[in-house]
Amino acid sequence: MKKLFKGPNAGWNLFLVFLLVMEFVVFGSANPKFLRIPLLMTASNDFISICIISIFVTMVMITGGIDIQVSSIVGLTSIIIGVSWQDFGLNIWAAVALAVFCAALCGALSGFFVAYCGVQAMVVTLGGSFLYSGLALLVSTLSSTEAYKGISGFPDAFKAISKTKVFGVVPMQIVIFLALAVIAYFLLHRTKYGRKIYLVGVNQTAAEYSGINSRLIIMSTYILAAVSAAVAGIVMTAYLGTSKSDIGGNLTMNIITACVLGGTLSTGGKGSILGTALASIAIGLLRFGMPLCFKVNTQYLDIPIGVLLVVVVVGRALVNLPSVQARLGRLRPRKDKAGAGT
Amino acid sequence: MVVTNSQTRENQTALLSVRGIYKSFGLNQVLKGIDLDVSSGEVLALIGGNGAGKSTLMKIIMGIYTHDRGDLLLRGEPVTVANTAAALARGIYMVPQEPLLFPNMNVEENVVIGFTQSKAELHKELVAVMEDVGWDLDLSRKASGLSIAEQQMVEILRGILRHADLLILDEPTSALTFDEVKSLFKVIRDLQQKGIGIIYITHRLAEVFDIATDVAIMRDGIITIHGPVSDFTREDLVRGLLPPDAEEAVKATGSVSAVDYSAEPVLELRDFSGYGFSDVDLKVWPGEVLGVAGVVGAGRTEMATTIFGMDRVLGGKVLLSGVDITGKKTRQVIQAGLNYVPEDRHLNGLFKICDVAANTTSASLYSRALGSVFLNRRAEREVTDGYVKSFRTKITGQEQLAGSLSGGNQQKVVIGRSLASGPKIVVLDEPTRGIDAAARGDVYSIIHQLRDKGVSVLLISSDMEEIVELADRAVTMYQGRINAEFKKEDINQDNLMAAAFGIAGKEEIGA
Amino acid sequence: MSVIKKVLKAREASSFCFLVALFLVVGVINPSFLRAENITACFNTSVVYTLIAVGMAFAIFVGEIDVSVGSNLGFVAAVVGTMIQNGQNWFLAFGVGLVIGLIVGIINGWGVAIMKVPSLIFTLGTNGILRGLMYLTVGVQQVNQLPKSFKDISSMTLIGNFTIYYCCAVLLTVIIHFLLTRTRRGRYFIAVGDNAGGAELVGIPATATKIWAYVICGVMAAIGGIIFASRIGIVTSLSGNGYEMKAVAACVLGGISLSGGVGSVIGAGIGAIIMASISYLLVFMGFSSNYDNAITGVILMTIVVADSLLQKRAAVKNRHARLAARTEKVTKEGAVR
Repeated sequence: MKKLFKGPNAGWNLFLVFLLVMEFVVFGSANPKFLRIPLLMTASNDFISICIISIFVTMVMITGGIDIQVSSIVGLTSIIIGVSWQDFGLNIWAAVALAVFCAALCGALSGFFVAYCGVQAMVVTLGGSFLYSGLALLVSTLSSTEAYKGISGFPDAFKAISKTKVFGVVPMQIVIFLALAVIAYFLLHRTKYGRKIYLVGVNQTAAEYSGINSRLIIMSTYILAAVSAAVAGIVMTAYLGTSKSDIGGNLTMNIITACVLGGTLSTGGKGSILGTALASIAIGLLRFGMPLCFKVNTQYLDIPIGVLLVVVVVGRALVNLPSVQARLGRLRPRKDKAGAGT
Repeated sequence: MVVTNSQTRENQTALLSVRGIYKSFGLNQVLKGIDLDVSSGEVLALIGGNGAGKSTLMKIIMGIYTHDRGDLLLRGEPVTVANTAAALARGIYMVPQEPLLFPNMNVEENVVIGFTQSKAELHKELVAVMEDVGWDLDLSRKASGLSIAEQQMVEILRGILRHADLLILDEPTSALTFDEVKSLFKVIRDLQQKGIGIIYITHRLAEVFDIATDVAIMRDGIITIHGPVSDFTREDLVRGLLPPDAEEAVKATGSVSAVDYSAEPVLELRDFSGYGFSDVDLKVWPGEVLGVAGVVGAGRTEMATTIFGMDRVLGGKVLLSGVDITGKKTRQVIQAGLNYVPEDRHLNGLFKICDVAANTTSASLYSRALGSVFLNRRAEREVTDGYVKSFRTKITGQEQLAGSLSGGNQQKVVIGRSLASGPKIVVLDEPTRGIDAAARGDVYSIIHQLRDKGVSVLLISSDMEEIVELADRAVTMYQGRINAEFKKEDINQDNLMAAAFGIAGKEEIGA
Repeated sequence: MSVIKKVLKAREASSFCFLVALFLVVGVINPSFLRAENITACFNTSVVYTLIAVGMAFAIFVGEIDVSVGSNLGFVAAVVGTMIQNGQNWFLAFGVGLVIGLIVGIINGWGVAIMKVPSLIFTLGTNGILRGLMYLTVGVQQVNQLPKSFKDISSMTLIGNFTIYYCCAVLLTVIIHFLLTRTRRGRYFIAVGDNAGGAELVGIPATATKIWAYVICGVMAAIGGIIFASRIGIVTSLSGNGYEMKAVAACVLGGISLSGGVGSVIGAGIGAIIMASISYLLVFMGFSSNYDNAITGVILMTIVVADSLLQKRAAVKNRHARLAARTEKVTKEGAVR
């Protein structure tokens, strides 16, 4: 595990760990309830979808793209599960499989437009967010239940996804997140596929000249992101016990913030699963701790998250300014040499 | 008012003087104390190989870069050129090598943008200027549809309309046809008559004697020769371009293992046609270095990238050891045993924010040797280590990012990348462009190593000396077709140059 | 003659044709739609979209994007609405609103042009901050006690059935269009988006131009916010949510290329009418408003994909034609020699 902190992003990852510790210290001292593990575990339901989705959106961003349609796919998944189970009489697991399949299809469509038609990812996924949330709404009209009420009464086996506690403490959704994070880690950092994701993101034409099918790689990351959004949709539906078309709400900024805070370069080529995972947990704790300890209304939470995003990107831009870099270079010439030696 | 050439040169202090300019990028010192003068009515030819620092010096004059040390004087007054706008205000205009037009605007809009006068006034002036220089260019055409020569005309018009006193032309003829060069030279003479000072950057010696009044040669960040053209002969200029110990190196390549021309050719092109080249017939034998000479835009790169599966084949066949690889995908071509080192390594070759190891293995990721699903890091390190050692690549470790290497070492990494896929033949496209003399020597020895191992090399180069030194056989391409072939003993700079310009015999291009 | 040709060739002309065709198709399906009041209603409802789309067009011209306009609009609407509701001087309230838009524009411009942060990321951040500030202003209640006189301005008509707001918006758009196409500085916006490197070389201040683009975008969103408060009469904490997406969609529909340097604000205005009409048209076609988002998404994606493919094909064709010309020349010249 030590190795995780030795890569090129080691410094940043350590900072993120420090941020997490600080959150525990500050929130814990403001309100000791924050430190009650069972409460924290339950509260994780509220932000686990940010964590799950952002680790796969990281891959999209490493290829140089962006995905702002995932939150609408969360809602689409949820409503497909509900409608196909209640109104079409599908087995609940078949409904889940159908929902995941549809999500993958959505991701593939957007990914195809980005990779093969050369449209900017931002615009395609913007259109996608309209389209898929619109589809979710239309699917909800197929149901006999009023859209605003949501479909509920799911079988216990399905709801168990969020009720089961492994070893009596760790809720299932956290296990799912950790499992996905480990899979994503191996996929991105250990396989040839992951290496290709990086190469495509750093320089797509050079990747083409290396015989890498860059377009297929790019498209695949959108499918992965959409599938992760589907998983988040399943977890949230199971937790809330209702299926609604707008369950994804406005996750987009939180997800992008998690990726950027985790050290992902929005121009592509750089980013790590560990960084994003740590950053997404930090954001989740912020969303949990602020209302609990400082009585901040949950609706105001966009302010600290927005500030966090702006501060991180501006800070990073500042460090990259030539004048600042020159000064930094003068400050620590010896450290650089030491680093280069290892 | 038209002033004659001699008057201006005697009566005025220099239009632009450069005094002791130093500039470095990181550890790479590009300019090491440059002194240069340009007067009005002077055409100063600035010659130098790739990477000599010409472009950097011009960018400093234009205010795009700031110099570390030294002075710029305009008409004797020291000035600081903080940005491009300041340079323009002082009457300096540069026509860049790659014209930077606004593709979605028409010719007129492109020329007049940035001016303060009224549109009607500008239009009148523009039409007058066009008549003056005798150019026929439809002002309402969109810039995206212009040829490179036409784009350059638009750039020059911009400069003239700005009443620039000093015009910098950065390798203006590199993409022009014979006739276009002639008309450009006429324009330059007109401008010279009007008392405009011109810095004419080129790497073609013949042009110097045609158009320039003065000449300066840059090599490795210093000026080696500076004075009126009449003071020098062609041989003088060549000597100024070569590094002091170059002559030895050229001679040292006499001992060559003979190529077996009776064997089956490793690469064979039959009537191969594509966009930018047509009806190419070519054979490369095992262990042979085939030089492909020509001017920029002759269709050599297009031919190579089309073989490599990057563009559509229009006709003909490509055989690799007898196997038809025509129109195959890049990955299949690599697997079949051909790899390509691109001309523009920054754009098409290098993964700058990836480490050296990732760069080296990037073209061989399909190979089982690097693992089936998971990437075998140990195998990757071994492969990379092999190339780093045999190429003497200077790195601090395999984790060093490719972007932080010097140009020569970057090029070695890119070459290593294509060799890591185990090719039978490598196409090297301008392998020594923009790298320093020492690295150039290393690249040459890599090519020798390859030949000794029986790997064939298709060497595309605009540097005739390079082809003379390395090639076992050479062909020249002129406007998309192969127009001459030379055996080892017939390869010399004059032959190649003449054929590259499509001239039979030893005539040189010019007025 | 050449004027007509020029107009027909312009990208916004095809958007206009699309709009007319849309109206005609709906008219064929349901003839009761083709009445003056329905058509004008489509135009009148587009007023807020028109304003923010024109602003957004500037950000897109210079090759960037601004996704904070929705929250910017909502925040201004909340502040102005609250002030007017509390009996403050209207013009003071409008002034405050415009200043907010200006400040937001400067901050966005600073982040994108000077700090060189990717525009989507940076404006996504300011979007979140503004949204939060808006919650702070509006609170759990809504701004719903706006004086009737303020709300009534929105139903005053000026020419025929066109509201005073829409007329102003059109006038503003036309003025901006002329400033953009006829003045020296106006052309800078297009130039920077077309070729930033080339712009720098002819002495166009790219950084300043980008900041200006964001300032215009911010101020237009603020004007949109004021009109929003007057037209809708209620400002909730969700007001303006998603408007940034509608503005981008309007620009794309109006023929503005998202890679920058192509298009006109007139096009943005036409795109805004299309965006605003969709839900109105759906009603006449017998669909529920549930189809709104899905249809918007389909139209948006179809247009950008088609546009991108056409451009890509044109670029490839151009390159190939240029390369082919080189090889042909040899035969011609060879004959001469």
